[in-house]
Amino acid sequence: MKTHRSFTLVVYLGLGALLYAADKPADPRVDPAMTSIHPFTGQRGSTFVVKVRGRGLAGARAALPANAALQMTTEGVGQEPPEEGSRSKTPVDVVTLRVEAPADLKAGRYAFRLVGKNGVSNSLPLLITEEAVAAEPEGLHQTPETAVVIGSRGTVFNGKLTRRGEADFYKFEAKAGETVTFQLHSGLPQTAAGGSAATIANFDPALTIFEGGTSWFDSARLRRIAYNDEPEFVFGKPTDSHLVHTFAKAGSYLLRVDAFAGQGGADYSYALKVLPGAVPYVSAPGSGGKRGGGGEGWSERSFTRQISPSRLNELALRGGVKPDRPVVENYRALPVAVEQAPRFALPGNLEGEIANPGETHRAHFEVDGPRDIALEMETPQQAPPYFNPIVRLLNADGDEVATNLFAGRGACSGALSKSIQAKTIVPLREAGKYTVEIRDATSDLGGPGFRYRLQVRPQVPHVGDVNIASDHLNLAPAEASTVRVMFDREEDYRGAIAVTAEGLPAGVTVAAGADFEPDKDEPLTKGKRERYTPRTERSVLVFSAAPDAPATVAPQQVRVVVRPVANGKLGDVIAAKTIPMMVLAKP
Amino acid sequence: MKALILVGLVGSLWAAPQKPVTLKLYPAEIALSGAGASQQLLVVASGADGIDRDVTAEVQWKLSATGVANVSSSARLEAVSDGKAVLTASLAGAKAATAAVQVSNAKAARAYTFTRDISAILVKRGCNSTACHGSVKGRGGLKFSANALYPKEDYDWIVKGGGYQVLTTEVKGERIPRIDFKDPQKSLLLTKPLMVTPHGGGKRLEPGSADLQVLTDWIKAGAPFGDDTGKAPKLVKLSLVPSMAIVTMGAKHRLLVTGHFSDGHTEDFTHQVLYVPNDPDVVSVSADGLITPKTRGETAILIRAAGQVASAGVGVIGDPIVNYPAVARSNFIDQHVFEKLRRFQIVPSALSTDGEFLRRVALDLTGTLPPPNRVKDFLASKDPAKREKVIDALIASPEFVDYWTWRFADLFRVSIFTNGLSSKWAQGYWEWIRDNVERNRPYDEVARERLSAQGYSPATRHFLPYNVVGTPADTMAEEVRVFFGRRMDCAQCHNHPYENWSQDQFWGMAAFFGRMFKVGTILMDHPVNMDLSSKDVDGKIEVLHPRTKAEVKPALLDNSKFNLDPAGNPRKELAKWMTSNPYFAEAAVNRIWGLFFARGIVDPVDDFRSTNPPTHPELLAALAKDFQTNGYNLRHLMKTIVMSRTYQLAYEPNATNKHDVVNYSRSWARAIDAEVLLDAVVDVTGVQETFSTAVSDGGAVGQAPPGTRAVQLRDPDTFYSRFLELYGRANRGAVPERNARPNLGQALHMLAGATYVERLGGPDSRLGRLLKAGATNAQIIEEFYLAAYSRVPTAEETKAVEEILARRPDREAGLREFVWALISSREFAENH
Repeated sequence: MKTHRSFTLVVYLGLGALLYAADKPADPRVDPAMTSIHPFTGQRGSTFVVKVRGRGLAGARAALPANAALQMTTEGVGQEPPEEGSRSKTPVDVVTLRVEAPADLKAGRYAFRLVGKNGVSNSLPLLITEEAVAAEPEGLHQTPETAVVIGSRGTVFNGKLTRRGEADFYKFEAKAGETVTFQLHSGLPQTAAGGSAATIANFDPALTIFEGGTSWFDSARLRRIAYNDEPEFVFGKPTDSHLVHTFAKAGSYLLRVDAFAGQGGADYSYALKVLPGAVPYVSAPGSGGKRGGGGEGWSERSFTRQISPSRLNELALRGGVKPDRPVVENYRALPVAVEQAPRFALPGNLEGEIANPGETHRAHFEVDGPRDIALEMETPQQAPPYFNPIVRLLNADGDEVATNLFAGRGACSGALSKSIQAKTIVPLREAGKYTVEIRDATSDLGGPGFRYRLQVRPQVPHVGDVNIASDHLNLAPAEASTVRVMFDREEDYRGAIAVTAEGLPAGVTVAAGADFEPDKDEPLTKGKRERYTPRTERSVLVFSAAPDAPATVAPQQVRVVVRPVANGKLGDVIAAKTIPMMVLAKP
Repeated sequence: MKALILVGLVGSLWAAPQKPVTLKLYPAEIALSGAGASQQLLVVASGADGIDRDVTAEVQWKLSATGVANVSSSARLEAVSDGKAVLTASLAGAKAATAAVQVSNAKAARAYTFTRDISAILVKRGCNSTACHGSVKGRGGLKFSANALYPKEDYDWIVKGGGYQVLTTEVKGERIPRIDFKDPQKSLLLTKPLMVTPHGGGKRLEPGSADLQVLTDWIKAGAPFGDDTGKAPKLVKLSLVPSMAIVTMGAKHRLLVTGHFSDGHTEDFTHQVLYVPNDPDVVSVSADGLITPKTRGETAILIRAAGQVASAGVGVIGDPIVNYPAVARSNFIDQHVFEKLRRFQIVPSALSTDGEFLRRVALDLTGTLPPPNRVKDFLASKDPAKREKVIDALIASPEFVDYWTWRFADLFRVSIFTNGLSSKWAQGYWEWIRDNVERNRPYDEVARERLSAQGYSPATRHFLPYNVVGTPADTMAEEVRVFFGRRMDCAQCHNHPYENWSQDQFWGMAAFFGRMFKVGTILMDHPVNMDLSSKDVDGKIEVLHPRTKAEVKPALLDNSKFNLDPAGNPRKELAKWMTSNPYFAEAAVNRIWGLFFARGIVDPVDDFRSTNPPTHPELLAALAKDFQTNGYNLRHLMKTIVMSRTYQLAYEPNATNKHDVVNYSRSWARAIDAEVLLDAVVDVTGVQETFSTAVSDGGAVGQAPPGTRAVQLRDPDTFYSRFLELYGRANRGAVPERNARPNLGQALHMLAGATYVERLGGPDSRLGRLLKAGATNAQIIEEFYLAAYSRVPTAEETKAVEEILARRPDREAGLREFVWALISSREFAENH
């Protein structure tokens, strides 16, 4: 029997047929979810044991790393009572795994999933390092007297803040002028967001270096000499700590690890790296606030996306048409008056650096008739919120034709609000001279790093960001489940979108569908929304397992693929995502 | 009879040891111009004790040239004809004092103008006061600007009539002129104050008075406004002699008021102003500036002229001290404070004991009680420089950084709700403050950065209460309050009732903050020469005057010029101006001073106004100058303060200063703030406090690391504390929010609250450790006295406690009660 099927579905806009066939199963099956791993760091060339905590992990029988070089063996499955003070009364599943990391394994993050009677779990990463790994000794280390000794640089300490308010102290000697880097990776990684961190369950760690013996009151009291909560608190960026410090004088020092608002518990695992010298901060791969999940790295509106000279062809491909567009030439805008602004031709990349506060760069172009153009801004070094580039497009009379500021009205107060956009599309209706102005939103900031690349080009209809909203899928026989695929129509792309699912398990079928989407309130004042926001649509894939669908032994990798359709032809793949899927055994 | 005795007593003291040493005639140069010009004269005799006495009524006058001027019986020099002369005042036993006199244009009558003459009469008669027609809505259908700040508006009300609306300039209702040109005598402007027509304000003019004549003549002359081109000299300032008058009971003292005009000339205004004592129980002041004491005390006298306000201090002293002691002085603070005390005949208390000083200075500089071993060492030390050494050690301690970070986090309002609704943004703002304290960054730099912060800098967060840009009015009022120590809020809706600040000035200042705009997570100042998509939603970036609805442009309080780049940051110009304005340094030193002395030189510390003058203006100026000269160095300022003998005086009063509350003649007890008190309880008992997050959400609940002190908490929103709430922790929703008043909750908490009863004993407590070490009762009592009070107990105190303990069958229970009694005592809860 052929177990691999391919099913292709073409979703045309306006299809709208409702196929929500997923009746809720009577079985209160718990989808397996790993919450934390401790320790989650091991040295390559070593074998170590980790414990995975989570829900629905009972019956876990295997761990599947994304990289086959990592060997993982299940050693046991048990349960722990819920933590004191927890609202949940459900015991926590604990899976013990033995991990073998080959000596030639490259250092980095290695994701894995658990497989058991409830299917395949979510994915969590293990951190494999080059450095020696040490475990935090048993007991509490929340006083200088009980501090863990850091013997040498180049060590990773696996620790855990086992209860709220716990802080782990480490002590070490430093030479005068010595620079040391302390990196702290959280086992419950968090990205920066608004609101009160005190109520967020994820583990946002903080590092503090102290020296003792400087207080007149009590020589045991500590003086804080360095602190880091995260390298930069920017929405969407990780909140792990990274502290680089050069010690002014030789002596004994203490390092404290704690959580931002004193959180702690059984899942609050961490890895503390102590490295010699100043090691630059590198955020974990895949971290950041970009909407995605299946876009193959495409980012339509990130300020840090690369706008290459072949941008037009990249866009053409995403529109399903032949990539026969010209290479975009580079020009420089200059900090000169409008009258002296240099000329450039469309399409063109304007590059420069706002070297001084308040500086405004200008360049101009001419059009001989109506043109629909796009302005795309890239900030390759400093990006918002540090460098906030404002772009203005002025006509020959000096009137503002467009900007990259989306103006609106606050939902509550109706107050004027604006946001800086990386992309603006503008219909130019008159021939003539147009001047582009670029400056920072503030008048006080500028300097190295305030670099920009502004592409001014004709509009190219295409599919923008794509999001395939599923991590894994477990289906019981006779059960159906949906996967949403959201996509953006950019620059008046009017073609169709084809969504395909390949590699389905035996007994599983997929159908095009739609699900209920609640009405949204109209924005209080729309402004010129069409200039700054794409038209977002979504499609739904309905996966259903036949009543007699055979159970899968291991997750089957189902590939969801998105292509544009233009001129009656399927275009190249513009987004794809592999989703592990299992059909569960009948109870 | 009593008065006679007092007069006799003063006279006898003066006649014997207090003979006049010098005689001064004010003013030393007199220029009289115009018909009827006059100058009130004042002669002051200084005694050997330095006390000045008004002897104007006792001197003999002589003019070197006759026919130039006359001296009236009330010591008023009146112009007669053009010429020069020398005026001499003589008093037996003292060298005569002279003044140069010049009379010009003696025959030239000056034409009446509304601003110069009519407004002056109205102000002098109290008509423009906020209690009368100068109130926000006026009174009895007649509205004047407070203190004649807007003479043109007042003129229109009188001549044309008007109708005042708070929120609009539109006039509604019938207009009733107060002038009858056909029959001037029937003008309401005359008949009302004469009470010919019923008048709610009572009788304000006497028939036949000079002021009535001026008003009548003015109306008959067609009630001209006068020069409205703005070129006529304007009254720009009032100056006073003396600025601080010392008067003994039974004596009198005159104030001389001089008006300074915009063209540089001066005129005697002594008879053209309104005198209002702040405390009318202390003195009364006649319409011509003669002060009559009523009882011992100190007050300010507010002096109002049209558009100008000034104030003079007056102290009423008792019997002069014949042998006033010499008091050692440590620095310029003592020079100013002790000089005033001497003039007020108040002897400062003795120098504080070492224990008293150590506890006080440790709490004031670091918010931390000195531990017993440090107290013992300090008490035992014979080092004459030990006080300075301990001050240096405290300023260099980590506790100093924690404490002043907390103080400024209070002032600068670090809280989640006022800093963008993000605990991380509040944290970033707190870290910015902490870094400034730790580096001892010049305060003017800190102020400039806070005032003009743009972009994603932590200092921008305080402009974003609830994650939106605060209103220009609220923001400006707060910055002026924090960095100028002045409250302009009243002028938001109407001209300030107690100051010369107009609504226009308020909104001109507010407009500096009117371009602040939040874009994403950053703050920018929206250019005024760029639309930046505003038209897409019919938006505008402008500040509108609430009454006129006209757009308001940024304008500085003193109308000084500045560069305003339409695409720049106007707050930078404001910050530059504010930090170079004398108000800035004065407000800063006064605020810090207030933290060390329980009251500011101007008190409340952020309520500078002419009606609330400084108790020690020269000291305030000297401190401000020293602060400025030393680079706005807060640590230098603090050290200067605590090194002064004034700061180091004892709490114990003497016979002369027991009633003094404003002259720093002794240390004044003040309640310890909530966070410091909680940390003190922890230090004394040896049992740490646990701070938990306010939000209970299962595993998400957090707890501050062990050993966290209350002053180290970043904001009041993250960690809850029943104790801190009860004892007045500021919620930082506004400046200031701290409430240290005792309440019933505190009393109940003291009796049964966990802060007190659950940390009295236990194995890890101070008591537990002492018991385990086998300490005797006497040793335990001494240790706790040292820890709580920074002193050893007296023999009587030890004996009393031991006797109580001896009666208790359970020794440890008795000792716990002793510890509770200590930390519940007033001596513990106050810094003195």
